[in-house]
Amino acid sequence: MVAYYDEMKDRAGIKPAYADVARWAEETSSDELRQRQSEAEGLFRRNGITFAVYGEGGDPERLIPFDLMPRVFCAKEWDVIERGSIQRARALNAFLNDVYGKREFIKAGKIPARLVEGNPAYEPIMQGIKPVGEIFSHIIGVDLVRTGPDEFNVLEDNCRTPSGISYVLQNREVMQRIMPGMFRSGQIRPVDHYGDMLAAAMQSVAPDDCDGRPTLAILTPGHFNSAYFEHSFLADIMGIELVEGQDLFVENDMLFMRTIRGPERIHVLYRRIDDAFLDPEAFREDSMLGVPGLMRAYKAGGVTIVNAPGAGVADDKATYVYVPEMIRFFLGEEPILPNVETWQCADESEFKYVMDNLPELVVKEVHGSGGYGMLIGPKSTKEEIAKFAELIRKNPANYIAQPTLALSTVPSLVNEGLAPRHVDLRPFVISGKGKTDLIPGGLTRVALREGSLVVNSSQGGGVKDTWVLRGERL
Amino acid sequence: MLSRTAQGLYWMSRYVERAENNARLLDAGRRIEGLPGAEAAGNTEWPSIIIAAGCRETFGEERLDEADRDSATFHLAFDPENSSSILSCFAAARENARAMRGAVTSEVWTAINGTWSELRKLDMKAVDERRYADFIESVLGASFHFRGAINATLLRDERLWFIELGKHIERADATARMLDVKYHVLLPKTDEVGAGLDLLQWQQILRAANALRAFRHVYREQVSAPRVVDLLVVNSQSPRSLRYTYEAICDNIDNIGVHTKAQRAVADHAREIRDRLRVADAHDIIDFGLHEWLTDMIMETNKLANALGESYGFFSQVDRDAADEEVEDSSKLETCTQ
Repeated sequence: MVAYYDEMKDRAGIKPAYADVARWAEETSSDELRQRQSEAEGLFRRNGITFAVYGEGGDPERLIPFDLMPRVFCAKEWDVIERGSIQRARALNAFLNDVYGKREFIKAGKIPARLVEGNPAYEPIMQGIKPVGEIFSHIIGVDLVRTGPDEFNVLEDNCRTPSGISYVLQNREVMQRIMPGMFRSGQIRPVDHYGDMLAAAMQSVAPDDCDGRPTLAILTPGHFNSAYFEHSFLADIMGIELVEGQDLFVENDMLFMRTIRGPERIHVLYRRIDDAFLDPEAFREDSMLGVPGLMRAYKAGGVTIVNAPGAGVADDKATYVYVPEMIRFFLGEEPILPNVETWQCADESEFKYVMDNLPELVVKEVHGSGGYGMLIGPKSTKEEIAKFAELIRKNPANYIAQPTLALSTVPSLVNEGLAPRHVDLRPFVISGKGKTDLIPGGLTRVALREGSLVVNSSQGGGVKDTWVLRGERL
Repeated sequence: MLSRTAQGLYWMSRYVERAENNARLLDAGRRIEGLPGAEAAGNTEWPSIIIAAGCRETFGEERLDEADRDSATFHLAFDPENSSSILSCFAAARENARAMRGAVTSEVWTAINGTWSELRKLDMKAVDERRYADFIESVLGASFHFRGAINATLLRDERLWFIELGKHIERADATARMLDVKYHVLLPKTDEVGAGLDLLQWQQILRAANALRAFRHVYREQVSAPRVVDLLVVNSQSPRSLRYTYEAICDNIDNIGVHTKAQRAVADHAREIRDRLRVADAHDIIDFGLHEWLTDMIMETNKLANALGESYGFFSQVDRDAADEEVEDSSKLETCTQ
């Protein structure tokens, strides 16, 4: 039996950060807990918050379960997460600049060239482009797991169009209504300046020829998209237009939206559609979602695209292994948040190790996401393992393996009452010109099924509010 | 504001108004059908209702003469194949509202989403003889709920003006069509009965337009054709009259603002129609030929609506472009014999 790290309790008992929450849960009857829980769900449903988290499939109108019990970080813990996430984001952006620029990282033999150029997310059209402020990925979601008091690991980076931030803000909104007492002491750091932070970062990377206040917009695939709620939510909190491809056109290498007053120029476009659909002239010809000529305007410096096309080359599971080295190479620093130990099946000796130890390992597809196409050794039958071994043998380069992590737990409200459930954390790091920052909070996903280590909403995962305290206790 | 947002709000509003007017037309049909002597004249009210709704083609020219209450009601209320049926209108209005979710309040969204989810559960059983009037009332009520939510919760800005504009353009079209119903309803040959029935039919038109009481209030005399035309065309206080809707259309355009040459041309066109209505006289209209006058009016409104959409950057509608079909439809009215 593996001992999991309980974030609420250690040997000395309930930790100070959780003292008030634990007392509240203790004093509140299970009926009332359930009542509050359904109140919270009602609020979500009324606001129409239905969407899937980045890369996950499933019913787009589904509500992701909300768990009433918050996850709490004290200042000291958060300090590590904050510095570590910012460091990681800076290194990833430096790597992207290098990939599409001088290629020094490759030349120094730090990463095989085939992992960059053979990567489906690598966009040759970006070669030689230097985005404003040298930022490729303005919004990075860093997926973190915890296995002990000081043991945080990065599980995955999301450099393309990470979603889930609207949940962070809405979770807080709902919690402030359900447990107002907890917020009275002012110890829980607010998160609602996310919109301002993102808008400021977007403005800072406006094209050089923009005089006056830059016009920002969010590009959505449309209201049939599963993350549409988040797109409109973001447009709303930033007070900017939510546009679709059909609203936009390019002229004289500048991007315009069609308004009732005539064309209006857009300086910075936060796109929430994939690279492949951005511009039928540059990428997929059949794309109806994008804007013909957008890449032309981008290359001419007429518009800034957030996040830049081709940023995905930094975030897949094969590149992941090299991020600690990126931190050392580009920043001259030691990684604050280490990677999870990872074996690449493409490597012969590592492949052998993986095949010999499958029952203890987690094996994932290099480009996969959403908790699909993976093997969790300790939770699988012999037959399942044998079947998966066949898949790996057929295409070793498509797989990486990691030890099965003893993910930390936080008490969650489930049918039987309060019970420990495994969690992860996705802070959202925002990079503008000369500034990398994040709000004190992030998306905590929780595996609501007993014993489950998969937090993805498509696999029975839910979300919690994440509290970052000013000090050590509420 | 994005042109697409303006377009979505405008059409959301038009579709709700269209649903309401279809309900009013069905109500007129129901009322005229119940009049003594209607049978002797061959129950021509249902084909005329279909023509007035602009649904002659979707219903099927060849079976128009056989239209009865059931077939007309199904086509105008529930037929999913008919993009102007009440159900289709609410589905389209909801789809527009959903796409423009950020531009309307949750009260407006809830009103329209609630109506749509109730309506789609209904079928012809909901309009059997005994419950027909209830159904009509529920559709009108849904439209009132929607308008009330808009009035009570929306900012007085461009979004509201485009919603209002959609309503008034659709209403200008609908009122003209409603008046034209009478043109296609045959009267029995006997003059004596005919004269009485004629008035009764006008009365039913007023009822369907929610204007019978207003009529008595304004004129304090018996219903007559010139007076009905006066109330529904010339009167500036009647909320469904052409004069009132055109005054409102001009106000809406002024509020939205005129920024381009094309938009100025649209505003001028609207004012020109309004100015004509300001000096119009019911007797002159009848002397000119009511049907011809109304047909001309319907075409002018359609022209205006098309130019308006173009000048504010609306995209061509993916589904039925109502305006085009209606223009075609009204020109066909000429061939109908009385």
